[in-house]
Order: sequence, then C-alpha cells, then structure tokens
Amino acid sequence: MSAMVKDNLSEIVTVNMGPQHPSTHGVLRLVVDLDGETIVGVRPDVGFLHRGVEKLAEHRTYHQFIPLTDRLDYLSPLSNNLAYCLAVEKFFDVKIPERAEYLRVIFAELARAASHLVWIATHALDIGAMTVFLYAFRERELILDMFEIATGQRMTSSWIRVGGIREDVPPLFFEKLKEFVSIFDDRINTYENLLTKNRIWLSRTVGIGKLSREDALDYGVSGPIMRGSGIDFDLRRDEPYGIYNRFKFEVAVSDGCDIYSRYLVRVKEMRESNKILQQALDQIPEGPVMTDDPRIEIPSHEDVYEKMEALIRRFYIITKGFAAPKGEAYGCVEAPKGELGFYIVSDGDTKPYRLKIRAPSYVNLGALEAMAKGHMLADLVGIIGSVDIVLGEIDR
Amino acid sequence: MNFSDLVKKIEEKFPSKTSSYEKFGSRFIVVDRSCYKELLRSMKYDFGFEYLVDIVATHWPKRKEKFDIVYNLFSVANKIRVFVKVAIEGDKIDSVVDIWKGANYLEREQYDLVGVKFEGHPDLRRILLPEFFEGHPLRKDYPLKGRKWFNNADEQGLGLKFSR
Amino acid sequence: MGLMEHKFSDNIITSTVDGVINWARRSSLWPVTFGLACCAIEMMAAGASKYDLDRLGIIFRATPRQSDLMIVAGTVTRKMAPVVRKVYDQMPEPKWVIAMGSCATSGGIFDTYSTVQGVDEIVPVDFYIPGCPPRPEALLDALVALQEKIKSDKVLRK
Ligand code: SF4
Repeated sequence: MSAMVKDNLSEIVTVNMGPQHPSTHGVLRLVVDLDGETIVGVRPDVGFLHRGVEKLAEHRTYHQFIPLTDRLDYLSPLSNNLAYCLAVEKFFDVKIPERAEYLRVIFAELARAASHLVWIATHALDIGAMTVFLYAFRERELILDMFEIATGQRMTSSWIRVGGIREDVPPLFFEKLKEFVSIFDDRINTYENLLTKNRIWLSRTVGIGKLSREDALDYGVSGPIMRGSGIDFDLRRDEPYGIYNRFKFEVAVSDGCDIYSRYLVRVKEMRESNKILQQALDQIPEGPVMTDDPRIEIPSHEDVYEKMEALIRRFYIITKGFAAPKGEAYGCVEAPKGELGFYIVSDGDTKPYRLKIRAPSYVNLGALEAMAKGHMLADLVGIIGSVDIVLGEIDR
Repeated sequence: MNFSDLVKKIEEKFPSKTSSYEKFGSRFIVVDRSCYKELLRSMKYDFGFEYLVDIVATHWPKRKEKFDIVYNLFSVANKIRVFVKVAIEGDKIDSVVDIWKGANYLEREQYDLVGVKFEGHPDLRRILLPEFFEGHPLRKDYPLKGRKWFNNADEQGLGLKFSR
Repeated sequence: MGLMEHKFSDNIITSTVDGVINWARRSSLWPVTFGLACCAIEMMAAGASKYDLDRLGIIFRATPRQSDLMIVAGTVTRKMAPVVRKVYDQMPEPKWVIAMGSCATSGGIFDTYSTVQGVDEIVPVDFYIPGCPPRPEALLDALVALQEKIKSDKVLRK
C-alpha cells in the first residue's frame, strides 16, 4: 500500500488486489487507486497464466492444436473447439454432415449453459449469496455428466474436430439431454427467485459498474457486456455460423448498462440456450458425424485394418498432419464470454504460421477501468464478477 | 452496404492506395503504409466500423516488410466484417488508440509478444510477460522452449532457482 | 492398556499425544483457495454440492494464514512462481502441498517459454495428482491419502 497526498484533505491510496485473491476468479492482479473508499483508477495486471499457447500453435499440426483450445476458456471448452475448427475449415471449404452440425450446436449451447452457471455461482458468491453456488453447481454437474457420457471427459474433451465431431454420441446422452432440457427452465427460476428481486442483490448491482453504449463500442467489448449496454448484437444471429440460422431464439438485450442488466442478459441467455437445445433435439437427423473429405478426414480403424490406402492416409495425417493452403482465415463464435475468434495465417504448411486468438475476456477486461471508476472499493468485486473473466483465455 | 460498395467508396477516397481481395470467407483491404491511419479513421467515422475486434501482428523475417498488421473491424449496423492489412518495413507503426479506446490493450499485447512499437500509445509496456523478459516470444527467431530468462531476476527476493 | 483398564471413570479414552494431534490435524484440513487455471474449476466442483468436501472437514480458506494445505491447481508460470512461493511461506507449520493436474506436476502440455516445469521447483510437494484436469474423485483420493499420511506423523519426536 502506498499513499500520495493529493491536497490537504484527501490522499490517493494505492491498494494491491490479487493475484491470489478469492474473488478475482483466477490469477488477476489489480492495482487500485483509492480516494477514501472511492475508486479513482484501476490498472489490471495480467499475464500470471501466460502459457504461450499462440507460440505452441506454431509448433503443432492443425489437429494437435485442438486440445490446447480446450484450455483457453476452460469453463466452456467445446465453444473454443468449435471456433477453432470453424477457422480451419474455412481453408478447406468442407461440408460438415448434418448430424455433426446439430451435435455441435448442442455441445456449444450446453457449454454456454455450463459457463453461465459457473458465472452465476461465483458472482453471487462474491456478492454474498452462498446458496446459489450450491444450486448452480448441481445443474452444472448434470451438464458435465452429459459431456462425460458423450466424450468420456468432464471438461476438456476436445470433442469437436476439424470436419465434424470425433464420434457419435450414445443414446443415453439424448435421454439425459431430454431430462435436462425439461427441468432447466425450472431450475433457472430457482436462481431467479433467489436473486432477481432480492433487495440486497438489487442494491449491490443496480446502477453499479456503468458502461455506456458508446463506451461499450469504443472499448470493443462483446458478449453479454455489450448486450447489457443495449447493443443488439449476437454473432449467432448476425454472422451465423454452422446452422444457427435454423433456430428460433431471441437475443437477450438489456439497456441498464450496469451489473444488473448483465445479470439479466445472462439469465435470459440460459433460457434461450435451453430453447435452442429443445429445437435441436427435435430436428437432429441420423447420419455420419465426420466429413469424408479425403483432405482432412482421419480414416477409421475399421478401414485401416482392411484398406491399404486408408492405412497410408491415416499414417500420413497422424504423423504429418494436413496442410492448409496459403492465406488467412478467421473463424469466430459467440462464446459465453463474447466473440471468440481464431485468426490463422497459413504458409502452406501443416502447422499454422501464426495463430492469433481473439479472446473476449481480454478485451472486456480493458473496459474494467471505465466501469469501476467512481464506485466503491467493495463494488469492484461485483464488477469483476459481472465481466465474467477467465484468466486462461486472457493470458493464453 | 456490401463489400464491393465499400471497396468502391474507399477507392474513391484513397485512389490507388488500396487493393482488396476475398479469400477463405474473409474480406481484406490491403492499404499502403502512407495512408493507413486515415483509412482506419474513415473506416470508423465514414463507413460505420465502430467495433474494433482485434489487432494481429505477424512476423515475416525473410520479407522486406518485416511485419503485417491486420485490423479486424466489424460494422454492427451493416453486419459486415473487414480486415485491413498494412505491411511495415521497420517495427514502428502509429497507434490507433485515439480512434478506438479498445486498441489500448490489443496494441500492448502485440507489442509484448511480437515486438511492434505503436507510436503514440499512451502506455506501451509489457502486459502478459514480466518486465525482465528479454525479446518477443512470437517472433520467429524466439525458441519455443526459451526458458533461460527464468533466472534473470528474483523479483521478490525469495531465492528461487529454476533448473528445468 | 491392561494396567490402565477400569482405572478411570466412563467416557475417558486413552490415546497417545501423537494420535490426538494427528486426529485433529487430519480431520480439519483447511486448504487455501489457490485456483490457477482449469484444474481450479474441478477443485471448486469438488467443494460444491455433488462431491462436498465439507463432509471431510475440508473448508477452503481465503487466506494462507489460516490454512495448512495448499492445493496448487493449475499451471504455474514464471510470473506466478514467486507468488506461489510467497503464499506457501505465509502458511503456518505444519503444512502440506498437493500438486493437482499435470501442469502443476510437470508442466503438462505447456512445454513453453513461460511455464514452470513442475511446481516442485518452487515448493516441496506431498502428493501429485495426474490428469488434465483430474476428476474431483482423484482430488478426494489425494486428500484421503494425505490424511493417511498425517496419521503416521510424529509430532513430539521429529
Ligand atoms: S493440468 Fe490440464 S486442466 Fe489442469 S491446469 Fe493444466 S492444462 Fe488445465
């Protein structure tokens, strides 16, 4: 802590917060300048989790990089897989089988729900509502169980692959999904009963952490923060990828510009995700889940045992990988945190020449100072929670 | 407004300074070093690209222009995404923080990892790596496992030694 | 025990000092909340409704001063390393460390310019949990194993 005298009556005190702090959601460090208890400046210090993923990408084949994408935004690994695969698929212009497209949507929406559940749990916990944490993690476990049934892994499953998904899901997955879809709306009501009209919750969130519409655009924030500032923008609708244009859903927008409206947006998004899941469940066709495009498909084991060409191709793709044509491709999805994009530069090799991850949390964090200035120190915890940062993707 | 309209308008405003292409589903405008900042400014104020999505710097050690800088822009009103690309010879380029505030963090990151200096940036320091890191990891000549710098400093005086 | 049998009134149990202290220590392991990366989410899941660490007397504390266990859950980078060490130094004795996940164990898949290749370069580790991330059950297993280890500690005779 250090102090600097501003004038006779007040002095600016600088306080350190983090990186080991329970409410920074990881290893975020904030240097906060305080005038009394009022925040006059916040300087985030990030990079405590910088693992060098972008450099690692230049040394991995296109296929080998998928597991690393899981570990960026580790609250919704499957959305990251999807964004990356969309980017790589741009190079090849492949046709993804219908069933795989539907399963991708199902996975991405489940990941969104899982991520928002962690957000509501920890955000409420930070502000002082412990109960929501226990409820939200109960539902999250249901989702993780489904992932486990489908993929064998709870979190980092790398299940979405270039050209489709790794393997079809077992029938039990759909049973569980049906059950989940039928109860989820009701469970969201439970959280809403605990929070939406809760007096304490309202006084801690309404009018706090203001980010005006103009500032939101200027800072380039995306996702629920952007929509919480009244900007009606959602990549799923406005730049549809995959088969999102087939689903009917509303884009949650709220123009309070504060923590509370971000809360409303995310809660509504969970409900809309549930609607999309329901529609996907109704429409999903039978069929293959991996493209048969010979440039990227990895031949199945059955084929390898019987056909010589399949054996050679599998050997080649596994050891060398597939080469992408020269050029740049950008794939992005509306991840739970905002616009997640992968910008890949290829020089015709089997490895990316340069890979840049557009991490939504990183850009959103840039607006933290604008949101926090003029509020009390105690509100900072709520504001960080409402930004919903994940350090894995900020630091990469 | 679609991409070809936009290209036409830009051509009118910046004659023979730009070119454009569309490949792998992405639309690029390549602009000359001499007027890229004016172009970016008019992208925001004349053509409605209010949302700066990303800034990417790529290192090309074997080329004459050592760095490519790509600005990823989106127009929320027209729902169109455009990449503006500029190649620079040295490692210096003007900052665009005065056009988009969000560029602050994006430029700091590219400075830290790729080592492009954004002139006019209000606070150009390392952001992800500590101050005592040497070099820029995303340059092609930096080794993936370059962990020699680990013992460069002992910030907190704890006597840590790294051997692996 | 033969000599002492029936010498005391009811409800008195005889034991060794080691036994009592170790019983107290192992039944109230308080880990410091020290989530670093993805593994921290599984650590949180272990503390939440389904796995419920509280029933083992394990309650997360937000300060190292009140904790006796550090679960290093996630990737330790060079920038973070001094902080990890500092938090460890701030914990009172006796203290234990669990390295959760392959990153904390060995650097895992991040063999890069900024990742510390195993947290045992910075702090002594009692248990390593493999997995990326390990399941909450794996964490529970390590905690139970740690309790077993504490059982056999000698308190008075070092
Ligand atoms: S071991 Fe795996 S899950 Fe755990 S922190 Fe490392 S990358 Fe993340």
